[in-house]
Amino acid sequence: MKTALSKPSVSRQQKNLNYFKRYWTLYLLLLLPITYFIIFKYIPMTYIQIAFKKYSIIQSPWEMPWAANNGFEYFIKAFANRDFLYALRNTLMLNLLDLVCGFPAPILLALLLNELPFKRYKRITQTIAYMPHFLSWIIISGLALQLFAPTDGLVNILLNRMGFAPIPFLNDPAHWVWTYILLGIWQSVGWNTIIYLAALTAINPELYEAASIDGAGRMRKIWHITLPGLRPTIITLLILSLGRILGSEFDRPYALKNSLVNSVSNVISIFVYDYGIKGLQFSLTTAVGLFQSAISVIFLFGANSLAKKFGERGIW
Amino acid sequence: MKRTFSLLLACAMIATLLAACVPVSSPPSPSAPSTPSTSDPTKAPDKGTATQTPTKPAEKPAKISVEIFDRGNAGGSKPEDNYYTDFIKRGMLRDHNVEVTFVAVPRWTEVDVLNNLLAAGDAPDVCVTYSYPTIQTYANMGGVLDMAPYLEEYKSQLTNMWDLLGDENIYYNQDPTTGTVWAIEALRYINTRINTFVREDWLKKLNMSEPTNIEEFETMLKAFKDNASTLLGKDAGKMIPFSTSFDVGWRCNNLLMSFVPDNLSDKEFYVLGFDDRQLQLPGVKEAVRKLNQWYNEGLMWDDFALYGEGDDTEDNLIRAGYVGSIIHNWDVPYSGAEQGIHSNLQKLVGPEAAFIAVNPFKNDAGKYKKVLYSTVDRKVFFPSTNKEPVASLMYIDWISTFENRNFLQIGEEGVTHKVLEDGTVQTISSRDDKIMNSTNNIDYTITINGLDMGSPEKSAKSLALGYAGVDKRYIESSFAAALKDGFIIKNFNVGEIKSEEGMGQALKVKRDNLYAQAITCPVAQFDAVWDAGYQDYLDSGAQAIQDERKAAYEKYYE
Repeated sequence: MKTALSKPSVSRQQKNLNYFKRYWTLYLLLLLPITYFIIFKYIPMTYIQIAFKKYSIIQSPWEMPWAANNGFEYFIKAFANRDFLYALRNTLMLNLLDLVCGFPAPILLALLLNELPFKRYKRITQTIAYMPHFLSWIIISGLALQLFAPTDGLVNILLNRMGFAPIPFLNDPAHWVWTYILLGIWQSVGWNTIIYLAALTAINPELYEAASIDGAGRMRKIWHITLPGLRPTIITLLILSLGRILGSEFDRPYALKNSLVNSVSNVISIFVYDYGIKGLQFSLTTAVGLFQSAISVIFLFGANSLAKKFGERGIW
Repeated sequence: MKRTFSLLLACAMIATLLAACVPVSSPPSPSAPSTPSTSDPTKAPDKGTATQTPTKPAEKPAKISVEIFDRGNAGGSKPEDNYYTDFIKRGMLRDHNVEVTFVAVPRWTEVDVLNNLLAAGDAPDVCVTYSYPTIQTYANMGGVLDMAPYLEEYKSQLTNMWDLLGDENIYYNQDPTTGTVWAIEALRYINTRINTFVREDWLKKLNMSEPTNIEEFETMLKAFKDNASTLLGKDAGKMIPFSTSFDVGWRCNNLLMSFVPDNLSDKEFYVLGFDDRQLQLPGVKEAVRKLNQWYNEGLMWDDFALYGEGDDTEDNLIRAGYVGSIIHNWDVPYSGAEQGIHSNLQKLVGPEAAFIAVNPFKNDAGKYKKVLYSTVDRKVFFPSTNKEPVASLMYIDWISTFENRNFLQIGEEGVTHKVLEDGTVQTISSRDDKIMNSTNNIDYTITINGLDMGSPEKSAKSLALGYAGVDKRYIESSFAAALKDGFIIKNFNVGEIKSEEGMGQALKVKRDNLYAQAITCPVAQFDAVWDAGYQDYLDSGAQAIQDERKAAYEKYYE
């Protein structure tokens, strides 16, 4: 009786042990990244409580006194701050434009490259296209000033020679937004194309052959074979981008902004820099950061479940 | 397996996102294990146990660390270990039996770095910063030692410091209610601040005299523009009659001040004085309207607002000789030696090319009223981790002693300076291990900024000789122009203004944006742009600051 009861557990233990014996090296490999995440990501997360507490430079977050209004003082303060609300609006606007314009760009480029018959030309184009990815935004903003400044910029000098009025690429808020978006696409399009090109190689060439026999032209083949083949990749990347909809990078807006366009260039990361790092209001800006992350997580989950609803795999 | 992995990946990504909202700082150490009495910031030192008096040579030397600015200049020596630090170390050990070590902090990111050092409990015992709000914020968190009890107790031993700084600078920041002193102020020995400069050679070429009022100045700008081909030849298209930078409040300050009513009271200067670029003063709007007119008439540099802090595009335009006039730091055309504006103009344009200081901006009382630097400079404070406050005060006293600071300012005779017949001192730039990393070693003489040779005349004469390759008449006239009708905005000690906390950067950015947008907008929109921007500035915290300053002033001074 006793043995009969314990038998399955023994065999499961045995099984687990065997499994572990077989794969322990893989687990060992995993240990390093997990340690990294625990030390640099999970332990620092205990500092999230700064958002609910009155920050002090000499106390540990556990000892800091709670903020007023049940700890929500800084959230209330943030939402009462007009700069934060503007920053929120600008972050959403720039990220949405980035998504709408920037997301399809690498797909288009990947399709174009895929249709090129000259292999060598394709490779060279691809390499050149992803080079800007390695430039820092400080350098890109320097280039932008050299090219687009109203009087000294190369583009405007050329326009001027041809008898056109200068275009205020950088000094008018509406123009600045487009400069910002287009520079972003220019910088990242080549790099993001790599993922799609990789996905394209996984499409079975027999499908194309079959389609040709059935009389499908180039556009038909792109529409019915290439794009469906890319769909899982597109969905995954889209979900990830939606997770970043309220996130904001710092270097890009910070390097490109100037005094004349702050009505559109002031984004959350710059708000956090001005008030947090420079103004030493750590609790306020941690609250802003936490809000940002919470919204991002909601978007991530929302996009994922939406994708699943439409019959896609999602990211988990 | 694949599912688990992707789940893990997703979790990790969320973690990354969440972690991004936490400020970077190492876990703060609990307040350092304190030795009895002296290190406890809340208690005054009691006489009985009063510290290991560092003046007794028989005892083991006390150890302190001192912050030093690192300017990272090419070819300089190591800021924390060189000829001059050795001089200080030797002196402190000999005179006070204190062992000194130096901690280098980058000059241009000093506040950020100091912040990290304080959070980690690693801050030097003697800290230096230009930002009082930063000290106040740290003090509110309990991170700063109150100097008041030590100052009182050891006053008799701190005579050199007292002689140099006086009660005014030592108690400059004393809270009128609680009596705390979080920081003492270094002395700014030379108060000259901002000058207006025009190209002397262009005036001569166009047979014009130096402008003495704003109308003449405007006529001059128009003449520069109209005669661009005479003045610049084939580069006529590059003509910039008047240049400024994104920092309009500084770079047009003398013009702005000339529109401020002469009879503005000290109280109003204080209440409206949070911004160190005078944005809130009455009359400034009309001054900016003038600039807006000039901008729209093509008399100003078109792209000034696009280039941010640290960009040298404008400097290069000035050096290349395309710029007719600027308002800038009182000696800016002459400083910088070979890299400076003067030396480049001489090289690129010709020996007659030079900027000269002028005074064209008169106020309603006919005075060239301009703001001078007050007597304060850097702020010296002790973080609460300082276990040797007395030894640290002795350090401040030592560095304030005339012989010591004078040696640090001029260095060794024959190496970094030569003495002329009349006793004035001419600096020579040295390239060996005795090189000074900052002018007159300002980073070591933490209690004084500006060459002090013992008497004002000798100092002024020596100062004029301190600009290599520049005729001293330029320096002398520049110095005189900068002081003409200058005044120091009075300090009122009312304790902490709560609404100022953490607002410095946000309001500074708003100020710069407002100035730039109001200057560059079309003339017809000027009022709308200015009024909307200024209202936003007030609503974003400036109004609250004004109200609190007013109430505090009335509480203590009326």
